[in-house]
Amino acid sequence: MKEKLKVLMLGWEFPPVINGGLGVACFGLSKAMTGLVDLSLIIPKTAAGFVVENLELIGLNQLTIEQFKNQGASTTNTNTYDVFKEVTFVEADFAPYKNYASKTDVTCESTEVISSKNPEVTQDDILSFESVGDIYGTDIWDKIQRYAKVVSKIAQNKDFDVIHAHDWMTFVAGLQVKHESGKPLVLHIHSLETDRAGIGSRGGVYQLEKYAMELADLVIPVSNYTASVIKHHYGIDTDKITSVHNGVEALTPYKTKKPFPEKLILFLGRLTGQKGPGYFLETAQKVIASEPNVRFVMVGTGDKLKSLIEAGAFKQIGNKFHFTGFLSPEKVHELLSMADVYCMPSVSEPFGISALEATQYGVPCVISNQSGVSEVLPSALSADFFDVNQMAKHIVSLLNDGKLKKKVVLNGYEDLKNVSWENAAQKVVSLYRDKLFL
Amino acid sequence: MASVCFYFQVHQPYRLKEYSFFHIGRDYVYENHDLNLQVLNKVADKCYVKANALLLQLINKHKGEFKVSFSISGLALEQFEQFRPDVLASFQALAKTGCVEFLGETYYHSLAALYSAEEFQRQVDLHKEKIKALFGVEPTVFRNTELIYNNNLARYIQKQGYVGLLCEGTERLIAANPSNKVYHAETNKSIPVLARNYTLSDDISFRFSDQNWKEWPLSAAKFSNWLQEIAVEKDDVLNLFMDYETFGEHQWEETGIFEFLNDLPEQVLTNTSLGFKTPSEVFKSYQANYPITASETISWADAERDMSAWQGNAMQHECLEKIYEMEESVKATGNEALIHCWSKLQASDHFYYMSTKHSSDGAVHSYFSPYNTPHDAYLYYMNIIADFEIRVNKSLKVKSEM
Repeated sequence: MKEKLKVLMLGWEFPPVINGGLGVACFGLSKAMTGLVDLSLIIPKTAAGFVVENLELIGLNQLTIEQFKNQGASTTNTNTYDVFKEVTFVEADFAPYKNYASKTDVTCESTEVISSKNPEVTQDDILSFESVGDIYGTDIWDKIQRYAKVVSKIAQNKDFDVIHAHDWMTFVAGLQVKHESGKPLVLHIHSLETDRAGIGSRGGVYQLEKYAMELADLVIPVSNYTASVIKHHYGIDTDKITSVHNGVEALTPYKTKKPFPEKLILFLGRLTGQKGPGYFLETAQKVIASEPNVRFVMVGTGDKLKSLIEAGAFKQIGNKFHFTGFLSPEKVHELLSMADVYCMPSVSEPFGISALEATQYGVPCVISNQSGVSEVLPSALSADFFDVNQMAKHIVSLLNDGKLKKKVVLNGYEDLKNVSWENAAQKVVSLYRDKLFL
Repeated sequence: MASVCFYFQVHQPYRLKEYSFFHIGRDYVYENHDLNLQVLNKVADKCYVKANALLLQLINKHKGEFKVSFSISGLALEQFEQFRPDVLASFQALAKTGCVEFLGETYYHSLAALYSAEEFQRQVDLHKEKIKALFGVEPTVFRNTELIYNNNLARYIQKQGYVGLLCEGTERLIAANPSNKVYHAETNKSIPVLARNYTLSDDISFRFSDQNWKEWPLSAAKFSNWLQEIAVEKDDVLNLFMDYETFGEHQWEETGIFEFLNDLPEQVLTNTSLGFKTPSEVFKSYQANYPITASETISWADAERDMSAWQGNAMQHECLEKIYEMEESVKATGNEALIHCWSKLQASDHFYYMSTKHSSDGAVHSYFSPYNTPHDAYLYYMNIIADFEIRVNKSLKVKSEM
């Protein structure tokens, strides 16, 4: 057995470029793994000056074409990608994190993702990353192809024992490097197309996810909930699926006195079907009907924002149900510091780190049974996402029953003791040893 | 003799700031003072000052033959008093000529007529007092906010001792009658009503600078010819009702709108058989022989000319209901500052900004709106309502403990 494994990690979101939970998780995990393995992480975009100790962080936006010109034989590599011939991609609504500021709905044209010849890294590829703005966007298929091309060239000059890829944007690259190097491929699943676009989703992203998981050597979902989705909706062999729960960064919670007398119930998340904002609104209506001394705040933006605002007006609860739009992390923490209950009614949530953050702030959580985080946060009160009556009951109990609230908060602190990125990192490394026999 | 009757609407709301959730409980200043001052100064300089000077000149020139009427909201008047006394003085100079009539309306330019009889009464009285204090006259003719009108309003106005009122000349109102007459309310012959000739009025206020309009450019001579052609009977009255901001603000000075206004009285007085009258003079001179029925509420806004500009979606309905639901508790505080604040939140403009209409009416709504979207307008307004409720409850609590 090797002393220290060399891991080539492929990521997409990473601080300071964060759109959702993926960037947070990737950062937490890789930082914790630096103590256990030799870690190189390749991402589309880094910020100059953002350094993590003992982590080789390669941002494609920082590369120059010269770095690829002197590779000799490897640039004339004539490998063909026969393994990808089976993959066909159909039209799909592929942008999981749409850029709402642009106000344009993006729909993908049918695109050939992978060419059958090993292409050279071109000046164009390099430039496309140098100036990359939104790391998703309408040309994401193009981005993941170029990413795969550049990553494969980098990998040819690297010594590593295992490839560890985070979410579908990096899967093409992961498969390509596995094919070229013969090293085992680990896929880390933070979010699936069936979460984002609905359980019946079978589009291009779904195909890529399914195909990659079929070829992977190990699949690590962030919860047992997601493991079961992978089993039932992607039909992947359960033997190679092992979940590893996310950790949470330690933070310094504080309390703020609310500037109003009402109790505050908080929702954080993109306003898309996946996060269940409509169920939150319905729950709020039920709570307000029996508890007039409350305020609900919905933080975030998304394609459902306008219809949610109108639905709130229709329910005539606009003076008790507030929308803030997208907020900075500082503002989110300010809200956590004054909230009385945190509610996460996600329809399908692989994990849900925000519930752990709320718990750190001593805010009791009401979460859906369809949330992975419930597996590490048994203290939270839970209900099925569609069961708004039960959700409302939980919230009302927490507002009125001081003993219950205290119990949930204290048990939450106990739950947190078992949740850390160090635990997650150790589990990942022991999976490399035990499952991949490295 | 057939007549031309001018009525100009003058109103400036207090636009609200982008009041987020984080303001609630922390910030009781709801208005965007800088923006309001900026708009007031812009409109004052582009329109009020110039147009008032021109009207004064025209009235003097035509020695009592040229007359107009104004309805100025209390909100506009109090802003003039505070920030533009020169504008107020120029209106007062017009009042002194005796050729300018001031109409009655709600002080707060509100929709109170449709929500609370008591509040409506209070605002009409407040406005009457304000006009009397500033111009030394008491209004005898009434025009409701945005020419909102229905049968019930007609009944109310008569009880208040007004000699008549103004409304929009929608097709469904006029259809059964000859055009351009003095009408009377369906139920009562003694309530005369003047209906806006929206075609002629909009020729000036909307189409004047439209180069795709086949009549562009519109000269005073051409327009007065139309008036002569239309007013064929001696009891015809052509009601040209429009926003005063038409002159210099909606239609910029460069369009020639001031030249048009300058030439029109002379063209009408020398080349046609028509004369100018104010609304109360019209009511004195002509019989009201034709009944009009408004069983549904009408207004001068949008293509629909109904209440849909302010009551067209759930957001507008909720805001209107929330603000009027508070009447009893706000008044119970006895706190003048709170009551004034609540009243200002009733200005119809706030609800107008929340309209989600599309196409050309939508464009007009967004032209006036200071916000990015109608949804923003709603969210800021609702956050303000939330804060205001807290203040009212606090005030009531303090009062009950005394």
